Amino acid sequence: MTALALAVTAAMYAASPVNRADAERPSPDLVEAAYLYNFGKFVRWPATAAQGPLVLCVAGQDSVNQILGRLAAGEQIEGRPLQVKLLERIDEAGSCSILYVGSAERRAVDAYLGATAGKPVLTVGEAPDFLVRGGIIQFVLTGSHVRFSVNLDAAHRNSLQLSSELLKVAVSVTGQPRTGGLP
Amino acid sequence: MKHPSGNSSPLTARMLGSSSISAKLTRMNLMVSGLVLLLAVVAFFVYDLVSFRHNLIRNLQTSAQIVGTNSVSALLFDDPESATTTLKALRSSPDVVAAKLVDNNGRVFAGFSQPGTKELPPTVPLPPGVSDKIWTNGNRVLLAHQIIFEGKPAGIVYISAQLRETGRRALQYLLIAAVILLFCMGAALLISATARRLIARPVIALAETARRVSRERDYSVRAGPHADQDEIAVLIESFNEMLSQIQNQDRALTRARDNLELRVQERTAALRAANRELEAFSYTVAHDLRGPLDAIQGMVYVLEHLDEEAGEEQPREILEQLRNSTRGMAGLIDDLLNLSRASTVALKKESVDLGAIARLIAEDLQRAEPERQVEFRIADLPPVEADTGLMRIALDNLIRNAWKYTSQHETACIEVGMMRLRGETLYYVRDDGAGFDPSKNDQLFQPFHRLHSRGEFPGTGIGLATVQRILARHGGRIWAEGAVEQGATFWFTVKSASSAVA
Repeated sequence: MTALALAVTAAMYAASPVNRADAERPSPDLVEAAYLYNFGKFVRWPATAAQGPLVLCVAGQDSVNQILGRLAAGEQIEGRPLQVKLLERIDEAGSCSILYVGSAERRAVDAYLGATAGKPVLTVGEAPDFLVRGGIIQFVLTGSHVRFSVNLDAAHRNSLQLSSELLKVAVSVTGQPRTGGLP
Repeated sequence: MKHPSGNSSPLTARMLGSSSISAKLTRMNLMVSGLVLLLAVVAFFVYDLVSFRHNLIRNLQTSAQIVGTNSVSALLFDDPESATTTLKALRSSPDVVAAKLVDNNGRVFAGFSQPGTKELPPTVPLPPGVSDKIWTNGNRVLLAHQIIFEGKPAGIVYISAQLRETGRRALQYLLIAAVILLFCMGAALLISATARRLIARPVIALAETARRVSRERDYSVRAGPHADQDEIAVLIESFNEMLSQIQNQDRALTRARDNLELRVQERTAALRAANRELEAFSYTVAHDLRGPLDAIQGMVYVLEHLDEEAGEEQPREILEQLRNSTRGMAGLIDDLLNLSRASTVALKKESVDLGAIARLIAEDLQRAEPERQVEFRIADLPPVEADTGLMRIALDNLIRNAWKYTSQHETACIEVGMMRLRGETLYYVRDDGAGFDPSKNDQLFQPFHRLHSRGEFPGTGIGLATVQRILARHGGRIWAEGAVEQGATFWFTVKSASSAVA
C-alpha cells in the first residue's frame, strides 16, 4: 500500500506542471509562474480574443519567463495551446492574452498598462500599486505565501470576466462585480 | 397430532379432535400471515437498507464532487482557508464524520471534522485511472474523489461517514413489523372465527349427527342444511342421501321380516287345515267303506242262519244285496284311486277331442239306462292339448253327475259345449236337473261334501274333487252355476288364460 501510494504520488508529481518542485517551500517565482498559468483557467476572454493560442507574455527579462516556458510547454487551456512570449517592446503588449509585469519592469508599469488598456489582456503585476495604476491582478506576499488581489473594474475595462472561484481565493477584491461572471 | 389431555375420557379427546379443525385453521392463518409479513418485512428492510445506503453514498459522492469543484481554486492558488470554509459546508450532513483535501503532493491541504471527532479521514491513495472510490466497513464509509480541473488532477477529497441512520431504521422497521404482526394476529383470529362458522361448524355438526346415528341407530335423523353450495354442502347432501337409503333398506328389511312371519303363520294354518282335512278324509273313507262292509257281514250272518224252509227266493235277494254292497265298495275304491291318480299320475299331453269322449260317455249312459228320456246336445269341440285318460275321467264325472241329478225328472236335457270369452276357451256341461243351493257353491268341490242325501242321489262325493284336481293339473279351473231345481252348469277351462294365449 505504501509502495503504491508512493508510486501514485510520484505519478501525480510527474503529471502536474504546477507544483513540480514543491517538496520544499517553493520559490515565489515558481509559485507566481504557476499562478500565471492557472489564472488563464479562471478568466473568460471576449469572443474576439478567444481564438487561437493563449499568449502568455512576460514583460522584460524575468526569471519567471524561463520557469513559465518550462511549465507551459505543450499545455492547453480550454483547448487553446499555451504560448509563452518574452516581450521585447511595450507596444506588443496589446496582443497578449495574459501580461505579467515583473519587478524588473516596475518603472514601465504605466506604459504597459497604457498599451493594454481597453484590450482583452489580463494584466498581472508585482508592484505594490499595480492595482491602483489600473492593473487587474497583483501578487501579494503574505509571509512566505504568495497571494493576489483583484481589481474587478480594471478587468471589466479590458472586457474580461473573472471567475468567482478566483475571487474566492483572492486576498482582496476591489471594484464592483459585473453580471455574467464565470462559473 | 398429540393431545395434551392424553389420559382424559375418550369423549373429551374426541371433542378436542373435532374442534381442532378450527384450531388448525386459526393456526394455519396465523402461520401464513406471520410468514408473509416476516418475508415482506425482511424484503422491505433489505431493499430499504440497500437503497438507503446507496442513496447515502450517492449523496456523499455528490458532496465530494461539490467540495472538489469548489476547492479547485483554493488548491491551485494555495488557499487552505478557503478550502476549509468549503469543507465546513459538510457540517450540515449528519452522516459525515470528517473530510479532508489532499493536494497533488499527498499533503493534507485542508481538513474538517464534526464536533466531538478529532480524526481526519485516512489518506488512501487512489489507483491510477480511478477517480472515485468507496470503502465500506460496516456502517463506516470512506469515500475518495479525485478533483479534475481542466483535464488535470488538482487534489483528492476524502470524506468519512458513519451510516448511523441504518441502525435506527432497522429498529423502526422491527417496531412497525411487530405492530403489523399484532394486527395480523387479530385479523387472523377474526378470519378464523369466520372460517369456523363457515367450515368447521357445519363439519362438527355433521360429525355430531353421524355420531348420533351410530349411537342411537336412528336413521330418521338428518344433518342440518348448509347455506353455501360448496363441498361441505355436497358432503351433507350425500350423507343425508346415504341415511335415506339405509332407512329405506331398514324399512324393507322389517317389512320382509313381518311378511315372512305372516306367511309362516298362513302356511302353518293351511298345513293344519290340510292335516285336519286329511284326518276327516280318512275318517270319511273308513266310514264309507265300513257301511257296505257292515251290511255284507249282516247279510252273511243272515245267510248262515237261514232256515231250510226259507225257499230259494230269499237267499237270492240277499245275494243280490251282497253284490250291490260290494259294487258300492268297489265304486268307492275306484273313485279314490281316480282321485289319487288325478294328483299323482304323470301328465301325457296329446291332442284330445273332448266332444268325441263326451259322446262315448253319453252312449254308455243311454245304453245302461235306455228307459230314460234324456236329450244330449254335444257340440263339436276343438281339439285341446291334454292327458286323454284324465280328461276322460273328468268328463265322465261331469256328465254322469248331470245324468244322475236329472234322474228324478221325466225328461231331461244335457248340454256339452264351449264359448270363447276374452281369448279364453270356456267349456261347459249343463243339465236341467236338481241343481244346488248356490250358497253352498264353495263346498261343491271338496271331497265327501255332498249337497244331497245319499238316499236322494247315490255317490261317493269324490267326483267333483277329482275333476277339479285334474283341471288344476292342466292349468285350468272349474266353477259352477245353479239353483235348486233349476239345473246346474259346470264351467271349466283346460289351460289357464295366460298359457292359452301363449
